[in-house]
Amino acid sequence: MANGKDQALLTEFAPQIERTSLIQFIWIFFLVGVIAAGFYALYVQISEGHIVTGMRDNVVWGIYIVNFIFFMGVSYAGALISGTLHLFRAEWRKPIIRMAEFITIIALLIGPCYILLCIGRLDRLPYLVLFGRIQSPITWDVIAISTDIFGCLIFLYLAILRDIAAIRDFQGIRLPNWKRKLYRILALGYVGTPEQQKRLHRATDVMAAMVIAIAVIVYSVLAWIFSVTLQPGWHSTIFGPYFVIAAVFSGCGVMIVVMWLFRKIYRLEQFITRKHFVNVGILMLILAALFGYFTFSDYLTKWYGSERNDELLINLLFDEYYWLFILSNYVGVLMPMIVVGFPKLRTINNITISAIVVILALWVNRYLIVVPTLESPYLPIQDSRPAWLFYNSTWVEWVLTAAGVAFFALAMTVGSKFIPIINVSEMQDAPPPEDEEILV
Amino acid sequence: MKRESDSNPKKSSRRDFLKKSLVAGAGVVAAGGLVEAYLDTQAAESGEKVKVLTTDGEIVEVDKAWLRYPRVSRKESRKGIPGRKFVMVIDLARCKNARACVEKCQHGHHLPKDQEFMKVYLLQDTEYTAPYWFPKPCFHCDNPLCVSVCPVGATYKRTDGIVLIDTQRCIGCKFCITGCPYSTRVFAWRHYEEYDEDTQPYSPEASSPGVEGTVSKCDFCPDLIRVGKLPYCVSACPMGVIFFGDLDEDVVTNGAETFQFSQLIRDRAGYRYLEVLGTRPSVYYLPPVERQFPVNRGFDGLEENVSKRYENTPYVKKQRRK
Amino acid sequence: MLWSVILLVFFSPILSAQEEASPEEAEPVDTYLSLLATYTSNDTVVLLASLYIRHGRERIDLQNAQIIFTASGEKDQVEVGRAFTDSTGSAHIKVPLLNPALPADAEGMITYTADFEGTDNYLSASEQFISKPARLEVSFYEEDSVRYIRVNAQQHAGDAMEPITGETVFLFVPTLFRPLPIGEVSLDEEGTGSIEFPMSLIGDSLGNITIVARIDENDRFGYVRGENTCSWAIPKHLFSQDKPTRELWTPVAPIWMIITLLTLLAGVWGHYIYAVTELIKIKKSASKEKSEEKDWSNYS
Repeated sequence: MANGKDQALLTEFAPQIERTSLIQFIWIFFLVGVIAAGFYALYVQISEGHIVTGMRDNVVWGIYIVNFIFFMGVSYAGALISGTLHLFRAEWRKPIIRMAEFITIIALLIGPCYILLCIGRLDRLPYLVLFGRIQSPITWDVIAISTDIFGCLIFLYLAILRDIAAIRDFQGIRLPNWKRKLYRILALGYVGTPEQQKRLHRATDVMAAMVIAIAVIVYSVLAWIFSVTLQPGWHSTIFGPYFVIAAVFSGCGVMIVVMWLFRKIYRLEQFITRKHFVNVGILMLILAALFGYFTFSDYLTKWYGSERNDELLINLLFDEYYWLFILSNYVGVLMPMIVVGFPKLRTINNITISAIVVILALWVNRYLIVVPTLESPYLPIQDSRPAWLFYNSTWVEWVLTAAGVAFFALAMTVGSKFIPIINVSEMQDAPPPEDEEILV
Repeated sequence: MKRESDSNPKKSSRRDFLKKSLVAGAGVVAAGGLVEAYLDTQAAESGEKVKVLTTDGEIVEVDKAWLRYPRVSRKESRKGIPGRKFVMVIDLARCKNARACVEKCQHGHHLPKDQEFMKVYLLQDTEYTAPYWFPKPCFHCDNPLCVSVCPVGATYKRTDGIVLIDTQRCIGCKFCITGCPYSTRVFAWRHYEEYDEDTQPYSPEASSPGVEGTVSKCDFCPDLIRVGKLPYCVSACPMGVIFFGDLDEDVVTNGAETFQFSQLIRDRAGYRYLEVLGTRPSVYYLPPVERQFPVNRGFDGLEENVSKRYENTPYVKKQRRK
Repeated sequence: MLWSVILLVFFSPILSAQEEASPEEAEPVDTYLSLLATYTSNDTVVLLASLYIRHGRERIDLQNAQIIFTASGEKDQVEVGRAFTDSTGSAHIKVPLLNPALPADAEGMITYTADFEGTDNYLSASEQFISKPARLEVSFYEEDSVRYIRVNAQQHAGDAMEPITGETVFLFVPTLFRPLPIGEVSLDEEGTGSIEFPMSLIGDSLGNITIVARIDENDRFGYVRGENTCSWAIPKHLFSQDKPTRELWTPVAPIWMIITLLTLLAGVWGHYIYAVTELIKIKKSASKEKSEEKDWSNYS
């Protein structure tokens, strides 16, 4: 099954899978260290109670929930780039879809962990299933996220199946026996017969469509957790679509950064070119515009109507959180638009820098959605303890945030050692005929 | 042992009797009400009994009145007291921030000073409207958003209108805390020693002993209601600010005065707080018309960490500017 | 009371370990006893005694103390009953006034006495209450289509009954916590007074309501109580019966919500099942291919 072109590609990627260089070992070691610090912080939180965090009776949701929303949002990079572009048979996407799928599944596994950190009684987690109430948005979220994880796993599996089969057959790569056996089992006996190809193709098409639908539903459910409450600032009708746009936007940002990193580390310059950065950058530009539009629309209606609590919230945002607000909603929107919009500025490095800014801006945006609202409730907070008046995050929360990011990086690194980071099989597929319809 | 003066039993006059009245300070009506207790209806006195002694001389450090209050099982607590719908009326014209309600409630539910089920705010709706002390228990809304959003059904509304929390089921996700627009619920961020004081089995009706990592709130004291006692805050208030009763019967009482609920609300222009939110609370407020005390009296005798709370309120800031 | 005794018996071993450092009771503690007598219907008197001590500024009730009640007149003294104080320190008995008639003095006043004998730790106490028996009757009538409550008060005068005049009688409706005052009447020369029946009163589900008449803290009669039931009240409507079964906050969800959720789930997971079956078929076709290859190789 592996033809000449395939073999060439695989030869190129074989070292990735075979060996781990010293630098990579150090890198992995460092990440494991950060994760270990995270476990220590978790231990402190469990033994001393949630009082070690900065959350108190008014701001009951802090950085953990922000991280949860953020990671869930990042996971939609896969939905967009992998799923949509697959359905539209966009040729240029081929080198980057593997990275997108990885980002999706890894972020999807990390996100819910942050909810678990926020739950007061982890020993009662099964109650969510045993006593689940259908009317609760959190139950919708549990169902949606489980469905999402399952769907993305199936989608990822379908996508890597051919590569696994290619590696299984490839003789020019040195693999330990257990690894080769693993590849054989996972390949499900795929040998590339027309029937198998057709089945795989159909299944992938279906799952690509599903992944997009799931992404929209899951993230809307997450948005509804906030918007169905009466909290001023949350009770907004725009939250569903707003969150979905912000999610895909952040996913684009992470996608660009990951592309840049893998390109540098594995020397993929000939596969991931400036064109890819520009194309994803254009996606980022469009999403930045949409994100800016939704944000503007939300705050304009709040400000203009100037209902008392909306006014209090906006005053709080512009007093206490002024620079964060500017970063998130101005810089984060305008910078990608400017950098990608002007041809002279459209370099790989510039686009990556704006992607980093976008990631930061979106994290801050989630923070500004969650925390200031809780700091300006209907009944004014009349308390003498400073920790109860404003949210002051503690080292426990930051260490656990860092551990999540480290876990993301670690999983990406380990994943790339297992499967070639460029989708070898698809690269050598012939482009589809012009008039082919999707979802046949 | 007989006392020396026993040879001539004292005669008592009516006035002497009242001094030794079974109900301190509540007067004739309550004393008469006491007899009601032993005739047909349930026990109805509201005195502050703290310790119980047996005639064998053992000072039993029972120390809290709740030992006498039965606790029903968790399953039973999901049904309400049949044929009742509880409602509370708070008279803002009388409140002077004595905080007896806050403290007695904390005492009765074994709460640390950190946690308050009943909170007293100093509110002033707008620049020209009256400032007032605002005691706020849980409103036990008829459209409780906190119940709607609970993913595991740990909080529930009963037939008698009371919303309770079962802290054996609560997973501590705190969604209900964000669901409540009145900032009513509190979370146990750590374990408090006060929780260990309670040796009785847990019941959601008593909201005690508290559990770390779960949510709790004012419960309208169903365990006291079942034995005919008024909730802690109602009986504690020295000004008789808080009235409590059954909407079906249309009667509310603060222990000393009893009114027909519908008449009281109509005559005194009662209202519900933030009615526009659509939660349909079960607590009504009587506006601070013809206050019995000036607002400033609310600062008398406050501990420093309590008086500090109100430093940033518009009222205090205005006082400072003068 | 039994409940509290049981609790106390159960908990006292635990709790006595937590005993406060109480001073050794070298001398017995002074006790306070109060007594009141209420005359109720059917010529009965309820004697209510309360026993407590002072501990610093606190008042602590004595439980399980035996109170002996006696009634005396000019000459006779008769024990009318004994009772133990409950957890609130109160003991009460019901005593019939007639058959046999309780001893009274020349004016018909009866002296009730409550005695606590005292123990090693507590001094004895004794308290008296003097009052004349009276009877309050509540009745209802309608005149010119207006409804009234009538109260009639009588006192014993030898073998006959004599009206009580000039006193004020308060009217109440018993409710869950405290009696609701609905008015007061002044008794005329015939010992009768009436008020209009308040049409806003709420009774039970059939409209039955009990009206209680009370004379409180009277110099002569002490406390007198009478009651009667009529069905003129508004029938009680139970709010709890209106409780909906399918709302956002009920245990069971609205039907449309359940249907929507199931439909969405079925749609999505249906597609998953399709994809997984395709994968399974891929695997199956692989093993079929292999066995076919083997067949061909055997053939050739």
